[in-house]
Amino acid sequence: MTATPASSTASDAKVTDHSARQHWIGVLARSRRAELLAHEAALRDAEYQLIRAPEIGMTLVRGRMGGSGAPFNIGEMTVTRCVVRLADGRTGFSYLAGRDKAHAELAALADAHLQGAQQAHWISDLIDPLARAQDVRRAQQQAETAATKVDFFTLVRGEN
Amino acid sequence: MSTSLATESLPASLLQPAFADPVLDAQRSFRAALKALAGPGVAQSLLATQTPPHLEGLAAASHALCLALLDIDTPLWLAPKFDTQAIRANLTFHCGCPIVSDRQNARFALLDDSQLHDLSGFDLGNDRYPDQSCTLLVQLPSLQGGTQLAWRGPGIESKNHVSLPLQEAFWQERESRNDFPRGIDVFFVAGSELLGLPRSTQVAFKPQTSKGAA
Repeated sequence: MTATPASSTASDAKVTDHSARQHWIGVLARSRRAELLAHEAALRDAEYQLIRAPEIGMTLVRGRMGGSGAPFNIGEMTVTRCVVRLADGRTGFSYLAGRDKAHAELAALADAHLQGAQQAHWISDLIDPLARAQDVRRAQQQAETAATKVDFFTLVRGEN
Repeated sequence: MSTSLATESLPASLLQPAFADPVLDAQRSFRAALKALAGPGVAQSLLATQTPPHLEGLAAASHALCLALLDIDTPLWLAPKFDTQAIRANLTFHCGCPIVSDRQNARFALLDDSQLHDLSGFDLGNDRYPDQSCTLLVQLPSLQGGTQLAWRGPGIESKNHVSLPLQEAFWQERESRNDFPRGIDVFFVAGSELLGLPRSTQVAFKPQTSKGAA
């Protein structure tokens, strides 16, 4: 504790770290297995132990009608989660949709690596390309969906 | 930035692996717990291969019982000796159990031998739901070495001689809170061994003074 930053600066930094981590965990969760497998050698190139070996479970998905209504339960979905720790103590977490244990382990490893000194390297090498691929996929799907959009309009009904 | 990350990940750095085989090891520990309660006073041993890695402050069998018995629906009360960051972090992480500071809200309690003279506050269940009582996990240095007492009751053919290293105050506390069907079930744990004391077991702990006087 040589420098004591003003508390607001410290909490700002914390918020930034937090949202940066939310971003990369989200990107890892939406990544495809093959995309992470391409980085498997680099991700596994560290001593690590499994704090929670990959395990499959269910989680309840809730939604809000129109995004703002009262919450309701949509149903349950399968998730796989995993926690790893690298030899230097960094702990990586992952939660993924589906039943792919290898994918969950790689995503947890990526989260652990992303918290270290090599963060910039991992972001430019792993997270940014994955995020771009996901943006492309999402835009493509939105375009396909938009093409099927139908505008309903109601003519004046004879209500009186 | 790195400092704030380090402080954030402090609890995470205390985490350690639990059961090697989460399903089967938990089932084996649960089976041992069932046998311990079904045959009060008979020590059950857990094999080293089926106990979790050492967690500072917890005996192997206490750790295994916690992992097997606790989940999100079982609030846990910790004696001060066990209320460490490592134990809190690992039990909350692996079991998901809430840790409560009020004995009344606990379904399980982890105690050491310094707590046994006062069992006040623990939930004894009620007449309709006696199963809702708090179960005590008591970690002892050994399951031997105390005064030998005769245990009788369900699960014991005639009587079992058990010499737990306990003060008489514990037996008085237990008897004063035993209002069948309400009461407290206890697991005594030392090393990788456990021994059950359900509320239905009668223990003749009173010194033989009455006999001498008669």
